[in-house]
Amino acid sequence: MSLLEVHRLTKSFGGLKAVADVDLWVDKGEIVGVIGPNGAGKTTLFSLISGYLTPDEGEISFKGLSLMGRTPHEICQLGLARTFQIVQPFPNLTTFENVLIGAFNRTRGVPEARLRASEILKSIGLFEKRGFLAKTLTISDRKRLEMARALATQPDLLLLDEVLAGLNPTEVEWMIQFIRKIREQGITILIIEHVLKAVMSLSDRIVVLHHGEKIADGSPEMVSRDKRVIEAYLGEVL
Amino acid sequence: MTSLLLQAIASGFLMGGVYGLMATGLTLIFGVMKVVNLAHGEMMMLGMAISYWLFTLAGIDPYLSIPVSIFLLFLLGFFIQRFLINPILHASEHMQILVTLGVSLILANSALLLWGPNIRSVTTSYSLETLWIGEIVLDLPRVVAFLFALFFTFLLYLLLKKTELGKAIRASADNPEAALLVGIEVNRIYPISFGIGAACVGASGSLIIPFYDLTPHVGPPFTMVAFTIIILGGMGSLSGALIGGLLVGVAESVGAILLSSSLKSVASTTLLVLVLLFKPRGLFGK
Amino acid sequence: MKYVPVLFGLAIFLILPVVVDSYFLTILISIFYYAYLSSCWNILGGYAGQLSLGHAAFFGIGAYTSSLLFMKWQITPWLGMWVGALLATVFALFMGSLSFRFGLRGFYFVLITWAFAELLRLITLSLDVLGGPTGIYISVHTSPWQFQFSGRGPYYYIILGLTIFILIISHKLEASKPGFYFKAIRENELAAEGSGVATARYKLLALALSAFLTALGGTFYAQYLKYIDPETTLGVSLSIEIMIRALVGGSGTPFGPLIGSFILTPLSELSRTYFTKGGLEGLPLIIYGAVLIFIVLFLPQGVATWMKEKIAGYKNR
Repeated sequence: MSLLEVHRLTKSFGGLKAVADVDLWVDKGEIVGVIGPNGAGKTTLFSLISGYLTPDEGEISFKGLSLMGRTPHEICQLGLARTFQIVQPFPNLTTFENVLIGAFNRTRGVPEARLRASEILKSIGLFEKRGFLAKTLTISDRKRLEMARALATQPDLLLLDEVLAGLNPTEVEWMIQFIRKIREQGITILIIEHVLKAVMSLSDRIVVLHHGEKIADGSPEMVSRDKRVIEAYLGEVL
Repeated sequence: MTSLLLQAIASGFLMGGVYGLMATGLTLIFGVMKVVNLAHGEMMMLGMAISYWLFTLAGIDPYLSIPVSIFLLFLLGFFIQRFLINPILHASEHMQILVTLGVSLILANSALLLWGPNIRSVTTSYSLETLWIGEIVLDLPRVVAFLFALFFTFLLYLLLKKTELGKAIRASADNPEAALLVGIEVNRIYPISFGIGAACVGASGSLIIPFYDLTPHVGPPFTMVAFTIIILGGMGSLSGALIGGLLVGVAESVGAILLSSSLKSVASTTLLVLVLLFKPRGLFGK
Repeated sequence: MKYVPVLFGLAIFLILPVVVDSYFLTILISIFYYAYLSSCWNILGGYAGQLSLGHAAFFGIGAYTSSLLFMKWQITPWLGMWVGALLATVFALFMGSLSFRFGLRGFYFVLITWAFAELLRLITLSLDVLGGPTGIYISVHTSPWQFQFSGRGPYYYIILGLTIFILIISHKLEASKPGFYFKAIRENELAAEGSGVATARYKLLALALSAFLTALGGTFYAQYLKYIDPETTLGVSLSIEIMIRALVGGSGTPFGPLIGSFILTPLSELSRTYFTKGGLEGLPLIIYGAVLIFIVLFLPQGVATWMKEKIAGYKNR
């Protein structure tokens, strides 16, 4: 049994199939990358898994439990957290409070949650800015904050939606190292990414979506040689 | 009972036309700048008051004072948008609600301060005239109000569809950024739209003064009805406002005979609750 | 050490009734009474960010329940107040579960709270059992056991006690999990869900807590004035009075409603005394409207936050 199993997942918006018949599994300890051209259905897939959207058809299970009909907070409490492509901070709360709210998820009591929030802020390099209001942070700090809050919920599986977008090359390099580090702590990762070079080097396995359908699934080398993938990305450099 | 019901439907339908015009003003304001105007009922009260005072002090027939209402309410709406709404156009919804609530308090209580809490009404030579259509008796002022309301709604429709200004307003409503790119000065369109919205409700006020009593606190129920209508018709939809107006007018007056007239407001308030719960995106929305 | 100014302020307010005249005491009672109600509103509207324009409903349920129990069955309001608070909570949960279930937020929530309170007022108006438009006069049985006292002093201490109580609750809330969850919901409901916050449940919790405490204020009012009617206890103007103090003082801060009440209540009490005599009714509410607009345009975070920033700026110099 894999940690996350998605079976024949389908979601349409007004006749347009955003996600069509997708099968997907993520094993414990893996980093799996999801790539695909714009509009391939990547973010929709994440929203379906994390409970923000209800699938038309298909089945999702996590740790052997069905996620169907569960709300996002229930899914989060089960240990599946996500970040948003367009970062979603609590703008008028401090950096620390933002992370603290996540940290309440699987901790008992305020002191424990505070401790956990501090640890995460230190590890992600935002501790110095813990007193800043989230709305005053720079975009790259907000990306880190988004990640920190998701981590604070103590997930077993973390869904990262384009956490590298908008970062400069040094920051991208830092973030890749950071993601590797959290995997070493035992957190499984499913990541959507546009920066292909980064996701290829980071992932153990790559899943390619195109027009809502899964067209490839395999190691980075295998996928980058796949004919259908090259066609889908025609014009873009792999 | 059947004739009573028909009677209620007919008079509700007539009032519904006026409601439609009133709600068109509200939906225009919302559609163009996504602002909810909680002072809408108070603007209706002002329209009523303008015609009342022109009639009482100068003997001007309420129908003749409609242009005055339209003009004054346009100015009021224009300046409210320019000085109070525009600065917070991109602030949170809460802020907009509070500002328009503030405006409504100022308007209602200025009226109270200026001419006291008394109930005031206009009695014209035709106030008690009636028309018979088969079994149904219709008050002449209500018929006139209905026809005028339809006429004004039609004029507004023409204004929006056929004139340059109307096209600019619609473009600003659809997509403010794109409107800016094609050279529409959105910041000039907003106060004008708010002014037109206010003018619609001002005209509605003048139309009902021959048969509807004026008090400083007549506004809030109208605000409630107007919101019921535009939520029912779909926020921002002009045709929805007219259809919603007719529906709510009929529902209210049928509700009143079923419930006894002292509970008339219960019917319209319940309607608002039901609409909010079951049709918050409107009858024609998904 | 940091409690010294608080204790000092408390001592002053405990001694005040002994030294001030009865008119001044009346104003003080009003200040704390509105501070209390507005702090109750603040839990839902300020912390959880769900703007309610219907708090008069909870207040009215509290006032009417304890008064009816007292007038019809001679049940002491000391007991009746809890019945009222429970009923208000049930009503709030009914209203809340309907509106949150159907996903009403922002302006739609404002409208539905207003509409529910309005329904309650209209129904009370038309029911003779509830006193209809004339309302209920509470007969005088001066006895502490019946929540009736001679003189204003005891009422002052009761409302002061309630205000201190709600301030402590707000203060505790600030540093607690529910308090942070409320703020998360206010700031970004989508992100709150994703961070494991059961948003629907916590919104209901804020609503229930707020309604329960507001209803207690209703009983206080009924016993203090010994008269209630639909307009003053269930009307939208009361809801506005309750809401506006928190917004002016600083919603979502523990002391905001208190500060707001210290600014607005004397203003309205004095203007009521002086303006209505001179035939200037309406003026207090005109001033209110203007204050509301001024606050939104120039001090959108409220006076408390503004003061805090000023003080912080002064210290940093």
